[in-house]
Amino acid sequence: MNKLREVIAEQWEYRELLVRMTSRDLLLRYKQTVMGFGWAIFMPLVNTLIFSVIFTRVAVIDVGRPYPVYAFCGLVAWNFFSSALRFSVTSLTSNPSLVTKVYFPREIFPFSAVLVSLVDFAVSALVLAGLMWWYHVVPGWSLLLLPLVVAVLVLFTAATALMLAMGNLFYRDVKYLFEIVIAVWMFATSVVYPIGRVGGRLGAVLALNPMTHLIDAFRAVILDGRVPDHAFAITTGASIVMFLAAWLSFHAAEFDFAENL
Amino acid sequence: MAAVVFEGVWKKFRRGERHDSLRDLVPALVSRLARRSPAQGLADEEFWAVRDVSFEVRPGEALGIIGPNGAGKSTILKLLTKILRSTRGRIELNGRVGALIEVAAGFHPDLTGRENVYLQGAIMGMARAEIARKFDAIVDFSGVEEFIDTPVKRYSSGMNARLGFAIAGHLDPDILLIDEVLSVGDVGFQEKCVARMRELLARGVPLVFVSHNLSAVVELCTRAILVERGTVRFDGRPAEAVAEFRRARRDPIASGAQPDTDGIRITDVQLLQADGDCSPLFHTGQPMTVQVHYHAGRPVQRPHVAIDIHGVDGIYCAGINTRMDDYVLGTLDGDGRVELVIPKLALLPGCYTISAGILDAQGIRPLDLQSRAYPFSVVSERRDFGCVYLEHHWRHDAGLDARSPGETTVAPVACAPRRLTAAIAGVGGART
Repeated sequence: MNKLREVIAEQWEYRELLVRMTSRDLLLRYKQTVMGFGWAIFMPLVNTLIFSVIFTRVAVIDVGRPYPVYAFCGLVAWNFFSSALRFSVTSLTSNPSLVTKVYFPREIFPFSAVLVSLVDFAVSALVLAGLMWWYHVVPGWSLLLLPLVVAVLVLFTAATALMLAMGNLFYRDVKYLFEIVIAVWMFATSVVYPIGRVGGRLGAVLALNPMTHLIDAFRAVILDGRVPDHAFAITTGASIVMFLAAWLSFHAAEFDFAENL
Repeated sequence: MAAVVFEGVWKKFRRGERHDSLRDLVPALVSRLARRSPAQGLADEEFWAVRDVSFEVRPGEALGIIGPNGAGKSTILKLLTKILRSTRGRIELNGRVGALIEVAAGFHPDLTGRENVYLQGAIMGMARAEIARKFDAIVDFSGVEEFIDTPVKRYSSGMNARLGFAIAGHLDPDILLIDEVLSVGDVGFQEKCVARMRELLARGVPLVFVSHNLSAVVELCTRAILVERGTVRFDGRPAEAVAEFRRARRDPIASGAQPDTDGIRITDVQLLQADGDCSPLFHTGQPMTVQVHYHAGRPVQRPHVAIDIHGVDGIYCAGINTRMDDYVLGTLDGDGRVELVIPKLALLPGCYTISAGILDAQGIRPLDLQSRAYPFSVVSERRDFGCVYLEHHWRHDAGLDARSPGETTVAPVACAPRRLTAAIAGVGGART
């Protein structure tokens, strides 16, 4: 518990740097691009279009509301998760001079990757609002729970980001493995279709996927005007535990980073 | 209370590559389980880079760390800055640490000077408001105001370092760590840096100074430790530490071959400026005099004196001796000195070391040798590449084809070489 207080205190001390690194990455990401933040919206929009054609024309499924809104909502949340992780994986290995020459809490690298994606997430959330207006989807009081759902999503993403960044520093295989896992993971999550409808033993396994519960909760509070179910509560607890465990083990290993890069 | 405590510190390193891919992990884990090597011992590829080093630095104290390359000086500094963690021992730093090490490490080439000041400042632990308050002073100190809104990828390496030092210099640290500050920038800038160090020292800020520049250590520090092969060989007054370092740098073969102390010995080597000043900072194209002081316990027939100059990266820049120059010293007895006068030092900016030796009449067997014991720095406005300055000028004959026979004779033009260098580098898009 003391260790935990120590890492949090240190992170707080370096909060300015976290903000700086995040704005550095944002600046760099969209420097010399014409579309700028447009890219943050473009990807989920294209995916929404593709899946809308598939699931409203080819293999029609009923999701209980306009499919494009359903898909875009899921894709916005999923894109936040996957892009945060994609940037985190290489966040330590792509900054070798900082890792080997200067000291500051190394968590800043994966954390700023998550924050950068969170900014993109906020931008595409505006598009989601536009889409909902277009399809006359009116959110209810449950929208007040959105900050909580997003907080848990961020926590779970950050936990995974810490582990991946650390893993890739020691073993560069992680970067390649990640690309495969994230592709499979998306189709095992209720991003563009309700995966909860899968029954049997496979369904039971798929129900263990925290991202499904997080995205379901995200849709529930935004589109359905529903309070998230008990699965979300369990995911919340698990995410907190995972995040703390990931942070502590990252902290324990960070002194070896400079020697292993 | 000591500001810096370094107590019984050991640091273990691994030689060569470690397993970087998962494929190597499994065998490594298996062998680790099988061997069960104790955490304190050394495995095959491991060695101690720092062995049982202890020191303390109190407010107002300036500790110099000297020693040959690879002795563990930089490792000690990295342990102090928390980049590395000690294998054993206790390291304590009480207060905000300002490190004049890798001052431009956080710079991103695509960001402007201004953006990088804020970024690097935050990396060094400054709050945004603090940087904003000191921004003008930082830019002023660095001397790059004209280019502050230019991406730093277009900066010269000198400008980069100057901006970095300016940021680090404006951090108000409780403890200052410095690594080779005197090898960066031109004279004016170095003087500014030293003045800033003195100012902090005068305020009682404790200082740890790692350097090859022995004169600077003697001048600035109140105490010095000599580190060799990871251990402290000497701890005490800077002048004594430097003397001990020079004694240790005597070639062991030479001292073995000449065990009797009444042979000939080099007692001191001094590097002098044109005005006879003893500062170790020389200018490209300016004179340098190397004085070798000797003491001969008994007459030595026709020995030779040899001087070598090496770059800090080990490049052998020059080797000069009296034998090759047919300069006869005659019989040496008692005390005396031999001077090597270099009217124009043809070295480009950087750190160099001088080795001095006295050889026998055949110029083969060293009677005394102090290898790389006398460091000096060269500074200059010149920005040529390499380590040697070749005196030169340019000529350009245009219109040598037959198109305009009436105008073929164009007077050769001697260009200002400095501008031309910048022009070439500009065309290539390289960092100048």
